[in-house]
Amino acid sequence: MSLYNFKKIAVVPTAKDFIDIILSKTQRKTPTVVHKQYKITRIRNFYTRKVKFSQQSFHDRLTQILTEFPKLDEVHPFYADLMNVLYDKDHYKLALGQLNTARHLIDNVAKDYVRLLKYGDSLYRCKQLKRAALGRMATIMKRQGSNLAYLEQVRQHLARLPSIDPYTRTIIICGFPNVGKSSFINKITRADVEVQPYAFTTKSLYVGHTDFKYLRWQVIDTPGILDHPLEDRNVIEMQAITALAHLRSCILYFMDLSEQCGHNLEEQVKLFESIKPLFSNKPLIVVANKTDIVTLNELPKEKREILKVFEDDPDLPVIEMSTVSDHGVMEVKTEACEKLLSFRVDQKMRTKKVDGILNRLHVALPKPRDNKERPPVIPPNILAKKQKLAEKQKRKLERDIEVEMGDDYVLDLKKSYADIPEEERWDVIPEFWEGHNIADYIDPEIFAKLEELEKEEEIRESTGMYVVPKIELDQTMKEIRELALQIRHKKVILKDEARVNKQNKKPVMPRTAGAKVKDRLVSKLRKDMENLGVDMSNTKSAHFTKTKQTSRVMGTPAKKFRMDVSKETQEKMRNKLRAIVKPSRNDMGVKDVVMKKKLARIAHRAIAKKVTKYGLKGEADRFIGTKMPKHLYSGKRGSGKTDRR
Amino acid sequence: MARITNYQYKINDIGVFSKLTNSYALVADGGSTSFYRAFENELSKRIPVIHTSIAGCRIIGTLCVGNKNGLLVPNSTYDTELQHIKSALPDSVEVKRVEEKLSALGNVIVCNDYMALVHPDLDRETEEIIADTLKVEVFRQTIAGSVLVGTCSVLNNQGGLFHPKTSVVDLEELSSLLQIPLTVGTVNRGNRLIGTGLVVNDWRAFSGRNSEWKEIDVIKSTFKLNESHSPTASDSLRARLIESLT
Repeated sequence: MSLYNFKKIAVVPTAKDFIDIILSKTQRKTPTVVHKQYKITRIRNFYTRKVKFSQQSFHDRLTQILTEFPKLDEVHPFYADLMNVLYDKDHYKLALGQLNTARHLIDNVAKDYVRLLKYGDSLYRCKQLKRAALGRMATIMKRQGSNLAYLEQVRQHLARLPSIDPYTRTIIICGFPNVGKSSFINKITRADVEVQPYAFTTKSLYVGHTDFKYLRWQVIDTPGILDHPLEDRNVIEMQAITALAHLRSCILYFMDLSEQCGHNLEEQVKLFESIKPLFSNKPLIVVANKTDIVTLNELPKEKREILKVFEDDPDLPVIEMSTVSDHGVMEVKTEACEKLLSFRVDQKMRTKKVDGILNRLHVALPKPRDNKERPPVIPPNILAKKQKLAEKQKRKLERDIEVEMGDDYVLDLKKSYADIPEEERWDVIPEFWEGHNIADYIDPEIFAKLEELEKEEEIRESTGMYVVPKIELDQTMKEIRELALQIRHKKVILKDEARVNKQNKKPVMPRTAGAKVKDRLVSKLRKDMENLGVDMSNTKSAHFTKTKQTSRVMGTPAKKFRMDVSKETQEKMRNKLRAIVKPSRNDMGVKDVVMKKKLARIAHRAIAKKVTKYGLKGEADRFIGTKMPKHLYSGKRGSGKTDRR
Repeated sequence: MARITNYQYKINDIGVFSKLTNSYALVADGGSTSFYRAFENELSKRIPVIHTSIAGCRIIGTLCVGNKNGLLVPNSTYDTELQHIKSALPDSVEVKRVEEKLSALGNVIVCNDYMALVHPDLDRETEEIIADTLKVEVFRQTIAGSVLVGTCSVLNNQGGLFHPKTSVVDLEELSSLLQIPLTVGTVNRGNRLIGTGLVVNDWRAFSGRNSEWKEIDVIKSTFKLNESHSPTASDSLRARLIESLT
């Protein structure tokens, strides 16, 4: 691969840049201070040096360009031809030749002016001579502007050329546009060439690599070629022709049996015939692509006739393939590689180089010259051991079974369960059974245990342990039983109902809501009951009359003030008071005075505990020792550091 | 069944310091016992493993040559050593001292139980002694342009490994002479002098510790020490190797 690497060519600057680069380099790398009172030799030297330096810089840079660009006469003919096709040989040579001339001219200019500088008699004159010299060099370079621009373009294109090694094992794919060449290279390599359903998707050569027999194979995808004379071919087609002509390779000629590419079989065969000279002395395979649409055997007779040319030739294999269904892709690759390999080996066998290797690959087998037996002398037990080992390897392997059974083969994992009898060996055991992991319940001694249990059971049965004693029931007992059964049923039903009812959403009484006392008045109860027809006359001291006092009324009620207010206002105020009354948060949820006291005590203790623990002054003490700790507030603030330090 | 061993620290030339045949093994006197142990461990159940020097030297593999029928030692062998070897060896093995100018017999002779290749300049009497004592057919040969046939090759009754410079034609010729399959190879990470790094008989091989597994594989298949005979690599990958190596 290193043989042809065009990626390393240095950038070619434009003429203007070129001049700027050289002049500024001269300015930077030579002394800049000179005075007219200096000795004239010193002044002359100063300017001579400048002229010589810029000449040398021009010279070096041009030489670099001239050496780095490949010489068409020296590179492999494939590259020479490819460059001729792509960049036009004449133009390329002319450009390089003119740069060479420019280099000479610059050298001569410098020589002349250095000579003239020897006669410069003042600083001014020397300076003018230097100016003239550099000016003329710059003019010469300026005239090379178009050449430099062209070479830069060539450089950029060269750098992007695929790195094709013309000497290695190569498979070239060719054929009409749109017959599936790029699809094939994408199948067998990782070239990732663009595939589109129109002609000339591939506009240049693409390279992919594939492996076969531990060797690396270069696969080249070429642009499609049309059937017309060489002179009419365009640049895109010519690239394919160049590759076909110059690379020692195996050629795959792609045909589209379905004729979906827009060229019928006749045309395809004609193209084959016309570019056949390029295939001479190369292994060649005809690939009949797109068999997913139509296969060779499905072709109508007259079309089949057209392909007769190929089928009659014994050296020309026709392989069916479909890049869509992958049918035959590997066969094509294998066949191509095998053919090319044997071809190359054949060629190499004719050269001298191979002798040093051949003897290393050779095992000389004796031709018997007499009938004498010359058996090896091996101790019998070692021989026996050897035979044993050999026999061991003859065991029927799983692979052999697979080959025997073909498609019916299924790997049988259970056949080696020698402990289990044949009829049970292949029984299916579920992993889970009724939510239990079977593996958790596996007991290796289960059969022994089962047997033991069965024995015990037998003994029990024989002793009559399970005989149910008859129980006689009398009439009352029977009734009681029936009733009990009914009760039990009822209970269950009630229980269920309760469970269902529990779920229905009763409104929840908020804690703050006052009790609706009015609804539960004793008098109201009495009245309601009388309406229902209950006799409520003797209920003066019945239990329901002894209502409990409300919790809010704690202790004895305070003495009422007597005020001189009218009855109306009194009534109003009472209403108002009743509306305001709402338990303070302190009293909420507290049952009575005892409880309140107790709560107060608990709270006091908790506070006291906290105060002693942290050394506070009291409940309200929230002292923070250091308001501005040093580590949080010191140092310079950088950007974005105000909030987080 | 091939065994890797090394004689002393960083010495892999075990062919120089030992001799292995189908009926006995000789190992050098002095040096590490681990080397001796390796041989003893593998062989002593079947054949005698004898500790000896020849002419006071440890390079016994270079100095002597033998097969299951006999053992030839150079003229410079001490009487005591000869006595020791004779008494240690089984009666079926004949031991003979050879009066020969090329006294490093191990370097100039290579043999199995039926055939021997010898240095072209060897004495006629010596050749006769070889044929009589070792009961072999003797051929004067060079291997890969070298006269030291014992250094450049190793044989057993089932195969032979030769210097990698040996040409295909030579291999074929030698193969039909010796009536065993032959191939080329190296030992001890590319050492071409096979005889210095490898000793074999019909069921065991010992090679220097530096040997790579690839070399050992070649040794195993050449001398048929494998349990099963796999086809040689050259059948399936020949084209591939030629393609990638040139």
